[in-house]
Amino acid sequence: MLENPPKIKIGDFIILQRQKYMKLHKFGNIESSAALGKDQLELRNIEGHPYCSTFKMIPKETRGRQRITALELCSDKDMQDIRDIMNNAESGADNRNIKDDGGSQKLGNEEILKLREDIGDSKKIIGTLVENSTSFQSKTVYSQEKYLKRKEKKYFEYVQIRQPSIRMLAEIFYRQDPDKIMGLRIDSLSQIISYSDVNAFGKFLLFESGTNGLLPAAFLNAIGSGTKGKLVHMHPGNVPQKQAIQALNLPQEQLDRCVSVNIYSVLREFYQGKEEEKANVEEETEESAAKRPKLEEGENNTDEKSKSDEKVKPDEKSQKWKLENKKACDLMKEKFDSLIVVSRDHPLNIVKELLQFIKPGRPVIVFNLSKELLMEMYVELKMLSTVTNLHLTSNWMRYYQILPNRTHPEVQMSGNSGYILRGTSIN
Amino acid sequence: MSFLEQKDFIEENDTVILYLSPSSMHAINVREMMKNKKGELIEYIFQTSFGALKVKSLIGVRYGNKVELSRGHAYALQPTPELWTNTLPHRTQIIYTPDISMILFQLDVKPGNIVIESGTGSGSLSHHFLRGVKPNGHLFTFDFHEARVEQAKVEFTNHGVSNFVTVTHRDVIKDGFTEELNGKADAIFLDLPAPDKAVSHAFKALKSSGGRFCSFSPCIEQTQKVCEELQKHGFTEIQSMEILQSEEIVKMRSVQIMDLDFVRTKKILTTCDIELNDNKKHSKEVQKIITSSAPQILPGHTGYLTFGTLSPIFAR
Repeated sequence: MLENPPKIKIGDFIILQRQKYMKLHKFGNIESSAALGKDQLELRNIEGHPYCSTFKMIPKETRGRQRITALELCSDKDMQDIRDIMNNAESGADNRNIKDDGGSQKLGNEEILKLREDIGDSKKIIGTLVENSTSFQSKTVYSQEKYLKRKEKKYFEYVQIRQPSIRMLAEIFYRQDPDKIMGLRIDSLSQIISYSDVNAFGKFLLFESGTNGLLPAAFLNAIGSGTKGKLVHMHPGNVPQKQAIQALNLPQEQLDRCVSVNIYSVLREFYQGKEEEKANVEEETEESAAKRPKLEEGENNTDEKSKSDEKVKPDEKSQKWKLENKKACDLMKEKFDSLIVVSRDHPLNIVKELLQFIKPGRPVIVFNLSKELLMEMYVELKMLSTVTNLHLTSNWMRYYQILPNRTHPEVQMSGNSGYILRGTSIN
Repeated sequence: MSFLEQKDFIEENDTVILYLSPSSMHAINVREMMKNKKGELIEYIFQTSFGALKVKSLIGVRYGNKVELSRGHAYALQPTPELWTNTLPHRTQIIYTPDISMILFQLDVKPGNIVIESGTGSGSLSHHFLRGVKPNGHLFTFDFHEARVEQAKVEFTNHGVSNFVTVTHRDVIKDGFTEELNGKADAIFLDLPAPDKAVSHAFKALKSSGGRFCSFSPCIEQTQKVCEELQKHGFTEIQSMEILQSEEIVKMRSVQIMDLDFVRTKKILTTCDIELNDNKKHSKEVQKIITSSAPQILPGHTGYLTFGTLSPIFAR
C-alpha cells in the first residue's frame, strides 16, 4: 500500500527549506510569496504538489537587492548530487602549496555575478568556479569537499516544501530568536513534555507568557487528534499567541480541545462568577496591552485573520471569549492532571495560585532561564509542602560532526538550556 | 492497570509508586496476598526504610494521598513513565528521561503513530513510547533475549497497556522487523550492539510516506557506522548529538562572614581579652542564602543519539 504524504493546500502553513535553513510561511493565497534570503519566491506553482517536493528557483527579475524568483518542480535529473564534479578532480596531500592571497580564483566578482544570471544552474556555476580556481587541485579531498560545500551553499537554487512538525517549529523559532519562545531549547521542551505526563487521556493546565504558541502546540500535539485529552492554556495577554498551533494544520476537533484564556479574567470568573464581564474585558485589555506591547505586535503580524475577525464582529469575538472562560472554569473545577508554568513574571505566585486546580500526586513543572527564581521557588514550595519530590535540573547538549576519520563535537554549542523545576503535587 | 490513563483511586492490580523521598521510591503491585518462598499464600506486607505497609490498605486510597507506615509516612503515586523509569526492575542497562525525551521529540511521536523499537530491554523507553502513541497507535518492540520478552509481556499486561504493544522475540539484525511491518512504521528506534546492521531493515519498515529514525549508541564507532549506513540508504537530516542532564542541589545555607578589619588597629593590652571576645561576636555575622551546587558525581556519558529522516518514496 502506497501512503502518499498530504498535498500542499492554500491556507496551510508550510516550511520552506533551502539546505539546512528552514522558514515558516503561511501559504495564504495563490499569489502569496515568501522572502528567502535575497529571493522573493512566488509560491503559485507549489499548490497541489505533495509535501517534501523540491522546487527549482528560477530568477525572473531583479528589483534593487531583491530577486523575484519563480518555483518550478524539480526533475529527477535536477536532483542529482552536486558532488559529481568531485569525480573529475584530483586532490593534493596537504595545504603546503595553498596561499591565502585572494588570487586563486581567476574569475572576478563581476564575472561571477554575470555567470549566475546567465547560467542560473548552481552545478554549472560551481563547475566553472572549480575550473577557474588555481588552488582547487592542490587541496586535499577533505578541503575540496569543504570548498564545494561552501560554494554549493552559496549557489544552491533549490527549495523543498515541508509540512511543519513541532520538532521543526521549535528549531525554527529557537534559531530565529530564542527570546521570543522564552529560551526554550529543544532538550528542555522535550523534557517539559515528558515530565508533565501529557497524553491522550488527561486534562492539563498550562500557563505561558508568550512562546508564539509553541508550548500549547507541543501539548496539543501530544494530546493527539480523536482523543479525549484536554488543555487549558492560560496566558497574560489580550489574545493568545497561536502561530505554532495554526502551523500544525490540526483538525478542528483537536483545536477545540485547547481552551485559551486570559489568566486574570478566568480567575476572576472563577472567584466572582460571571457578572460584569464587559467591564472585565476592557480592564484586561488595558492591563495586558500595557504590559506586553511587543508580544501583541508579533501577534498582529502572524494572526491577521483573527485580528480582523475581532474588528468586524466584536460581539461574536467576545462571545467566544466568554465561552472559553466558561469551559476553562468547568475544567478547573474538575481539576487537572498536571501543571506547567513557563512565565516571564516570577513563577512563584502563579504556581501557588494554580496549584489548587491540580489533583494530588500529579506533576508540576516550571521552566525558567534563570536558576535563581527557581531556587527561591524550590525553598518556598518545600516550606509550604504543597509540592514534593522537587528537582531542579539543567541540560548540556551538543551536536557532533560525524564523518569518516573526522568525527568531533561541533565547535560551537548552545550554553543555556534554561532550568526546569519539577515536583509532585500533594495535599 | 494504572498505566492506561490518569485515574483518581487505587484499585487492586494497580502498580503504585510508593514515594518516601526523592532517593527512595518503590513500585508495588497492589494485591491482598502474595506467595512466600514456600509457595504459600500470605498477606502482602511491603517493607520500607520507614517500616512496613499492608499493601491491601492501599486499595481505595486516592492517588497522591499520604499513607501511614509503621515508622513514618509515604505518598502513593500513580506511575508515570518517568517514575517507572526510576523504579523499574533492571534487567538491562536502561535509557533515562533526558535521552528518552529527546528521542520521542525527535521521532515526532504522537498519538496514532506506529513505532518500532529494538531492543525492548527493561521496557523503560517502551512505556514512554506507549504513552506517546496511545490510544490509536501501536508499538512493536523486539528483543533477542527470550526471558526478557516474556517478562516485558507480563509487565505490559499488568500495566493495562497490552492492547497497544506487540512484543516479539527476534534477532532483528539477522531477521529484520518481519514482513508484516514493511512500510508500516512512522518512527524506528534502535538500541542494538551493531545498529548499522539494522539500518536496511529500518529503511524497509518505514512508511512510503516517510518517517524518522533514531539510534542510541554509547560508542562513537557504532555511531559512525550508523551514519554511513543512513547516508547509503538516502536518509537526510542525519544528526548526532549527546545530551546530559545535571541536577542542582538546592540548599538554604547559613554562611558566616569573617571580619578582618579589626586587625588593622592596635589593641590596648589590658583590655585584650575582652576585646577578643567582642571581636569574635562581631566577626561572625551570619548571612542566610539559597545556594545551588552540582552533585559530586553525575552522569558524564550516556550515549550518542543519531537521528535521520527518510523522505517520502517519490522524493528519495
